[in-house]
Amino acid sequence: MTDSKHGVGGSTYDTSKRSWPNEANVFIALLLIVLVFEGLGLLIQGNSFLFDSADRFDSIFNEARLKIIILQVSIVGIIALGVTQVIILGGIDLSSGSIVGATAMIAMSFAQVAEVNGYPNPKAIFLKQGWIDLPVIIPILVGLCCGIAAGWINGLLIAYSRIPPFIATLGMMVTARGTAKWWSKGRPISFPTDDFMLIGNGFGGWMPVVIFISLAILFYFILKYTVYGKHTYAIGSNEEASRMSGIKVNRHKVLVYTIAGMLAALAALVLSSKNLTAQAGMGIMYELDAIAMTVIGGVSLSGGRGSIVGTVLGALIFGVIISGFTFLRLDAYYQEMVKGIIIVGAVVLDQWRQRRAASRS
Amino acid sequence: MKKPLAALALMKKALATFALATMLTSPVLAETVGVSMALFDDNFLTVLRNGMVKMAEDMPGVDVQVEDAQNDVAKQLDQINNFIASGVDAIIVNPVDTSATQAMTNAAKNAGVPLVYVNREPINVNTLPDNQAFVASNEIESGTLEAFEVCKMLRAQGKAGGAKIYVIMGELSNQAAVQRTKDIEDVIGMDMCKFIKIIDKQTSNWSRDQAQNLMTNWLSSGESFDAVIANNDESAIGAIQAMKAAGLDMKVIIVGGVDATQDALAAMLAGDLDVTVFQDAAGQGAGALNTALKLAKGQKVDKKVYIPFKLVTPANISEFLSKN
Repeated sequence: MTDSKHGVGGSTYDTSKRSWPNEANVFIALLLIVLVFEGLGLLIQGNSFLFDSADRFDSIFNEARLKIIILQVSIVGIIALGVTQVIILGGIDLSSGSIVGATAMIAMSFAQVAEVNGYPNPKAIFLKQGWIDLPVIIPILVGLCCGIAAGWINGLLIAYSRIPPFIATLGMMVTARGTAKWWSKGRPISFPTDDFMLIGNGFGGWMPVVIFISLAILFYFILKYTVYGKHTYAIGSNEEASRMSGIKVNRHKVLVYTIAGMLAALAALVLSSKNLTAQAGMGIMYELDAIAMTVIGGVSLSGGRGSIVGTVLGALIFGVIISGFTFLRLDAYYQEMVKGIIIVGAVVLDQWRQRRAASRS
Repeated sequence: MKKPLAALALMKKALATFALATMLTSPVLAETVGVSMALFDDNFLTVLRNGMVKMAEDMPGVDVQVEDAQNDVAKQLDQINNFIASGVDAIIVNPVDTSATQAMTNAAKNAGVPLVYVNREPINVNTLPDNQAFVASNEIESGTLEAFEVCKMLRAQGKAGGAKIYVIMGELSNQAAVQRTKDIEDVIGMDMCKFIKIIDKQTSNWSRDQAQNLMTNWLSSGESFDAVIANNDESAIGAIQAMKAAGLDMKVIIVGGVDATQDALAAMLAGDLDVTVFQDAAGQGAGALNTALKLAKGQKVDKKVYIPFKLVTPANISEFLSKN
């Protein structure tokens, strides 16, 4: 527990005296929200939110609900894993949602099937032989390359031309969205091959969750125990000191943004596969949801602090809120207002607890 | 002293002659039409836009400039003002928000530029000035055709004793979503369809992915139901994907959508989607362009042109396979 490496940008306090890690606060917030929905459900409807009151499943839990809670946030969660690293680095990435849109369109063009219900695919981009019914590795590679290219450009702009990350990724956000619309002149691209469908629907529909959790575990270990991780935290805490101690800051920044772009592309592959279509408008606002999940999870927007665990918990909070609203049959017009209040509330709660911990020690 | 004055006078003459010559040699009959679309990445609106563009390409002397308002009311008004400033002969607007059209009507009226609203009914449709018109389909038809057909199908299944349905709404700020949902409720209010009860209605914001997650959330509550009526095909397809993933029999559950997109027709051929409604996107686009050109020439047109919706079921699907 004596992790003094997690320095807060500017402020110094002895983290060894803190009794529990930041992520525990997020977990408590998650439990509180679940309890609120459970209580309201019992009061208003006589139904349980998480538990299997109708005895439809083998366990005591409503398995279908638990599954959808995490399933519906897994795709944005994959993006959030990349955004977490970017924010810890001290930057921000506004282009994730647009990269999702552009990648989905481009990759799906290479994943289409030749015939649908006996008719030639009405949505085929490349209907010529040799460009259709391709092995699934090709759209996957094409997609990942799109994300890597976009992220790499972001990184180069931010590291070498000194443009603020907000502006550079804003430019990419607009350009990528334009690319998505231009690719097929706004027409959706649908009907992928069966192999491509597995990316979003494999393991009985659990595939997005499997990918999300595996990547979360992978990046948890990378951020905590590798040189890459330590450099990311260092640059986020104090960029000048990191540069002077010999860390290749510019190269590292490019690497982190490239990884974020790649993760956005991976999310695009899962999203378009799960929905069996690619639309130019896919991914709109995903970057904001990803940033919100990250910030709720305790990652500081000023950099140098936070962890993957927090982001996963933030994603779960989002999932619980979405399912909770549908469970309570909350009027559609109220949902977005309440969601905004909950997001701000969770972050305010977290900030207050941190300041109390700091003033105590 | 004389030389510079003489040179100046000569220059002025040359300039005037040049300008006159340019005016005489430019094509007098070229008409420019400025088009502001609410969205470029919407399936249906893309077909509409492409219909207009293609028709303009086939007409010599007609120039069409299309802009994307990106679902932003303010941006759309700016685009219209820009069109007026660049001197277009007519403007076609696909309104982002149908209750914000008065400002656009005023701008065009003050500049004397004809304006045609397409696909979405503006709130001021009954007070449009003489050189403005409206070409669309009546959203009262779309939801009513869809809901009534679902009602008939439920009766045919023998569920007239009582049936429960879910309603998936479009983006709540769109008139189409609001009207189609109201149509469903009106149909259920009729004596013949009173046996239907809506369990819940939520929005999917027209999106397939959101509809899929929404349907999965509904399924997790375990409540039995007989039909799902969605405000558009994309949402219907998302709901179908969720139900299939949960192992429900699509032959028993009735699903309805609106638009008759290619994806929806494929789903209907596969036996998953039961009802959809065809909206003639290309027809609306062509109608709007024709009306705009007529107004630009100063001819009289019908103020309101309603292009009818058509019900699509497995019985008549073959007519629509090449349309959208």
